[in-house]
Amino acid sequence: MSDARFVNQKAVGSPVLPDEAIPLVEGDGRFLNDIRLPGMYHVAFLRSQHAHALIRSVDTAKARELTGVVMVLTGKELLGKVEPFRSMPNRFSGGESVQHWLAFDKVRFCGEAVCAVVAEDRATAEDAAELIEVDYEPLPVVTDPRLGGQDGAALVHDTCPNNYLIKREYERGNVDEAFRNAHLVVKRKFKIGRKQALCLESRGCVAGYRESTFGLTMWISHQLPYVVRHYLANHLHLPENDIRVVVPHTGGGFGQKASIYPEEFVCAYLALNLRRAVKWVEDRLENMVASTHARDQSIEVAVAVDRDGRILALSSDVCVDVGAYSTYLWSAGMEPLQTAGLMPGPYKVPAMRYRTCGVATNKTPVGPYRAVGRPSASASLELLLDEVARRLDLDPVELRARNLIPIEAMPYRNANNLVHDNVNYLPCLKLAATKAQYDRLRAEQRERGANGKLRGIGIACYAELTGLGTSTAVGPGTLLQPGRDAVTLRLETTGVLSIAAALPSQGQRIMTAMRQVACDELGIALDDITCVNNDTAMAPYGFGTFASRTAVFGSGAVIQAAKELRRRMLALGAHLLNVPVGELTIVNSVLQTIDRAKTLPIREMAEKSYFSAKNIPPELNPGFEVTSFYDPKFGSFAGGTHIAVVDVDAHTGEVSIVRYVAAEDVGTIINPAVVEGQIIGGIAQGIGEALLEELVYDETGQPRTVTLADYLVPSALEVPRIELHHANTSSAALGGFKGCGEGSIIGALGAVACAVADALSRRGGDIHDFPATPERVLKGLGVLPSDA
Amino acid sequence: MPREQNIRLNVNGRVYERTVPVRLSLADFLRDHLHLTGTHLGCEHGVCGACTISMNGRSARSCLTLAVQADGAEIVTIEGLRAADGSRHPLQQAFLENFGLQCGYCTPGMLITAIELLRENPQPSEQDVREALSGNICRCTGYQAIVDSVLAVARDTQGSKKREIV
Ligand code: FES
Ligand code: FES
Repeated sequence: MSDARFVNQKAVGSPVLPDEAIPLVEGDGRFLNDIRLPGMYHVAFLRSQHAHALIRSVDTAKARELTGVVMVLTGKELLGKVEPFRSMPNRFSGGESVQHWLAFDKVRFCGEAVCAVVAEDRATAEDAAELIEVDYEPLPVVTDPRLGGQDGAALVHDTCPNNYLIKREYERGNVDEAFRNAHLVVKRKFKIGRKQALCLESRGCVAGYRESTFGLTMWISHQLPYVVRHYLANHLHLPENDIRVVVPHTGGGFGQKASIYPEEFVCAYLALNLRRAVKWVEDRLENMVASTHARDQSIEVAVAVDRDGRILALSSDVCVDVGAYSTYLWSAGMEPLQTAGLMPGPYKVPAMRYRTCGVATNKTPVGPYRAVGRPSASASLELLLDEVARRLDLDPVELRARNLIPIEAMPYRNANNLVHDNVNYLPCLKLAATKAQYDRLRAEQRERGANGKLRGIGIACYAELTGLGTSTAVGPGTLLQPGRDAVTLRLETTGVLSIAAALPSQGQRIMTAMRQVACDELGIALDDITCVNNDTAMAPYGFGTFASRTAVFGSGAVIQAAKELRRRMLALGAHLLNVPVGELTIVNSVLQTIDRAKTLPIREMAEKSYFSAKNIPPELNPGFEVTSFYDPKFGSFAGGTHIAVVDVDAHTGEVSIVRYVAAEDVGTIINPAVVEGQIIGGIAQGIGEALLEELVYDETGQPRTVTLADYLVPSALEVPRIELHHANTSSAALGGFKGCGEGSIIGALGAVACAVADALSRRGGDIHDFPATPERVLKGLGVLPSDA
Repeated sequence: MPREQNIRLNVNGRVYERTVPVRLSLADFLRDHLHLTGTHLGCEHGVCGACTISMNGRSARSCLTLAVQADGAEIVTIEGLRAADGSRHPLQQAFLENFGLQCGYCTPGMLITAIELLRENPQPSEQDVREALSGNICRCTGYQAIVDSVLAVARDTQGSKKREIV
């Protein structure tokens, strides 16, 4: 099946059909909620209805009496038995936050878990949770980060003065001088609402007791199985090798499933204490308040340019509402540090300065979500560039072309200290503009304008650092520096190849990608290669899937391991065929001499090596299992340009996207159809960020968006057909690969935001708050009175 | 009202008789009682469409339907789409070939909804497909590959004998 789709005889670069998707289209996927073990109990959590309150007492008596209830666990009972989540040390920490798995003295956001109920079925557990009586003493609530950071504001954590969980100031180059000498200085505000990754499958786990040889087995819907194992061991004081973590089919991750949360850890504790398997599956209402949120930023950015519109310096002030706790593992620094630090994107910025902070509030913690920080960084700068273009009477495309880092100037170290090595920013801009017929778009815009219709065109150029190795921190300022992942290649006794890795896929088809790479490297037919993934009992060590890294790491490790495995196969093959090694090659799972005079199927070689070893010199038979760790050292920039065309209805405020063109440099492509899917999926989420999605809290800290009917994500009607083009370069990583999982959401927010602002500017309007809901659009047009 | 009720229904061509709690949803009945876990739950609120099944030839949200309401009904779930010889339904095949899924969580609902569309409108336009699928959320694909999968089946069946769909 797969071979028919090869391009130029190579698996890499071909749209190989993903065998791994077959169970999913046939209804045989095995997601977390599909797992059931004999005698398994079910867990439900009692959650705080208060945003901020002291817990005076918890009375669980009635709940315990309900038939079918096995146990009710309170926060007090966990004290001293397990380690709470202390905010990760971060160089830029303001203060510390400590999150207990179950709140015992104080709740800090609506939805925080207070008790866990174990029962014979979920409905009973939920009924019992409702019978628990908690006596709360409400406390003053912090909901506005700007107010929360002021002296005298209520404190979310006593250990965190002024509620600053994160604070950083940065300066490089002579910013003041650049602003003094600038031809033009433009400032602008940008706000982006709170978001939700909204994986269609929410979180969940099954904690098994003494399954197989392990004390604790965790089936968990997560992106980082080994990291989960490490922290389970630390926090439950267990030997790590007594824990097995398995990730089943996963219905979306997008960063939301890359953090460590209390609920799953409580379940592990319960399974060990009850000596019985327990299961918890987050329902959607829980997911909206208990799984990390994202974004929620106010940004002020100023740029100094010369008379040609070239950027001289950039200055920004970023304030992020990071919620009640420093997200465990990644810290509260994710959004604040990355938004400010990555503001220059693909543009030459000789000098920059920023002030950024993450302020604790009484809301759900903010954690990683696809392209952390970059979408708002990019959108705020792109909107600013459009204003510069208007003031200088320059075309927005021309202004961007003058400022993008040209490939001839690379490696180029920008003012944020990041080095751009090999990426086609400018060709992507040109390609997108050409394919979109940009000049015609502008002409059409004028025509429509003459007929009283509002059309806007938005251009966004983005940069995305992918596949970060050990020398670049993924979470700035944290101790976490993942950057080495391994795969094991094993030639089985029948000559088929297994690839083992702990690099979960939530649809990125990582297994298919690794099979394609192995096929090319080893000459083993694609249909003879399978992949076992996501099981710490079977896979070598890996950090898992996040930060557009997995294809780069998995493929790099496969290339490295394949080199050694191939060497061993050729050596034994040469011996068995009695020919010099140099004359052998492997084609389609067969060892053969270059003249094809002698052949030996890999299958026979493997069988001989395992079953007839006595006839083989031991040095030629070292075993056919190779594990290799890969570290790309540095990351590689991917990039691209998105152009969005929108129509705005001046009466209803509705925005519809009428055209969308993207040109991307995502490195050497392993599977073009998979890459397209990643890019288009990211664009859809970016459209949601720009136009629809927003989690709303009222001033008492009550969430107002707790169902999918309140939190709107794009449907098939809101996402237009995406026209996708490529101007790829190779990265310095093995195989020349770059990551492509996140970049497109960056371009999408910027392009759509700019298009809306461009449309409004035709009537002298503007917009600073996103998503651009109809109400905000009408305010921006002056049809409705604005808030300010 | 009694707490339990006896129901008899046909699911994917097999007849089942069970006593079920009256508050049990059809989704939970299919998943927990019949072990047909191909039907997924994304919101239990009638919004996401992941739980869509076919009930007496019409698509229905199994999270909002009670199991007792399905008494006497004919239900088809994703597990029932394959032909008797085990081969994939043309739309399942098209999803595979057009990369119409990533995580696959929305896929069961998408398949059932799109099959209903193709039965009623064998030659839909792209806009028809998008409208028909607008009640099914996919968070991964951006819909394009899903829409293309449906259009591919429409193209393939053009002129040729249309395979009876569900
Ligand atoms: S689970 Fe039924 S519509 Fe979402
Ligand atoms: S493929 Fe993941 S939700 Fe559709």
